[in-house]
Amino acid sequence: MIDETKIMQYADGTLPIEEHEEVKKAIEADPKLKELYNNFQETGDLLFKLGNEIKSKPLPQNLQDKANIIKSWKKPLAKETGSFNFFGLFKIQYAGVAAAFAMFFVGGFYTNTFVASLDGDNKKTVMMATQKIDTPKELKLRGMPNTDEDLSTRVTNLYRYFDEEQFLNDINSKIDNMNLNDEFESSLEDNDGKKVRFILVENFNANGNDCKKVKFNEPLKLSSNDQGTDVSLDLCKINNNYEISTINLSK
Amino acid sequence: MTEKLDENFIKSLVVIALGIMRGKGDPYDLVNGAMEYLISNKEKYMDHPNIKAIAVLKMKGLFIDGIRKNQKMTSMTDDEGNDLQIVDEKQADISDKISLSDECSKVLSVIKTMGEKCQEVLMLASEGMSMQEMQEVTQVKSLGTVLSRLSNCRKELKGLLA
Repeated sequence: MIDETKIMQYADGTLPIEEHEEVKKAIEADPKLKELYNNFQETGDLLFKLGNEIKSKPLPQNLQDKANIIKSWKKPLAKETGSFNFFGLFKIQYAGVAAAFAMFFVGGFYTNTFVASLDGDNKKTVMMATQKIDTPKELKLRGMPNTDEDLSTRVTNLYRYFDEEQFLNDINSKIDNMNLNDEFESSLEDNDGKKVRFILVENFNANGNDCKKVKFNEPLKLSSNDQGTDVSLDLCKINNNYEISTINLSK
Repeated sequence: MTEKLDENFIKSLVVIALGIMRGKGDPYDLVNGAMEYLISNKEKYMDHPNIKAIAVLKMKGLFIDGIRKNQKMTSMTDDEGNDLQIVDEKQADISDKISLSDECSKVLSVIKTMGEKCQEVLMLASEGMSMQEMQEVTQVKSLGTVLSRLSNCRKELKGLLA
């Protein structure tokens, strides 16, 4: 018997990847669980929208003044020493990818160009599915050019538009047969109903894993003041399936 | 939890305040109180690894203080022996101050009819907190309890929205 909380976590994209298969099969086999799963997806979306909408409203002046005060606090940047799971997160409702991004961006979030990288021998690690690997040298997250822009908003908006599970289903069957600069049309659609296309731009190896970099074929507008962000995804092959290891946002 | 201290940090507190206040009063006041507390205790908290949890706990404390104050007021009368007015339920709420979409207004109003624990955990979820973060700010001992509470509350929410 599958615990309902696991259905909820699966719907939210926060269930550990090693438990996906079991939960997925249970949902497929039981219409009641399928309904529960759909309901959790629906309430997840509603809560996500609610939080975002409230946060999109301007603050009253007295709170804005306080925001200006705390902004001036020079908080020391935390050093991320642990590992985290950056995979299998196909939705972002509960801080999943945003939190991962936040952790990655610690230390370089405010710069204009380079955001996350390895420094010297101080190895950080990333959990790749059930497999632990050192962060590849290629793993970079590029920052926003404007320090006022909120990364989590951009990532959130990206994930509102981008269904990772669907994308991985689409691309896993084809990517091994693609050559560099080949275009791939996913079943994802943008807000205008246009099919989203990706381009394979790089093949690389990260600690023995075959990885590929694919790029959205055109810049995305990820926030109201965004003039267009180039988004590319690093996909690494884990247990015969490609998983997203990095999302690169750059101008 | 590492916070970037800016207006987005305060906005996330507004969402959480809504869950704490249960529709009674102005969440901006609660956030304002917590921010005043943080600012006046800058040296103590500016390096704190989880400043959001500090702010949330302060908001909870302020809310409870407010309830106690109002409870005392219920036994108070004016010089002529008339009961003093309790404004608790009548205070302007955030939904009176900002315009939300119909869908979000409905969800928020339904959440406000739910039990205290559900309101809290649902608003924490809508703020985007992870289970671990929710456990920290709700001070529930077991992560499993937070999970099952959120699961049950979401099922209840779905039922109420139907």
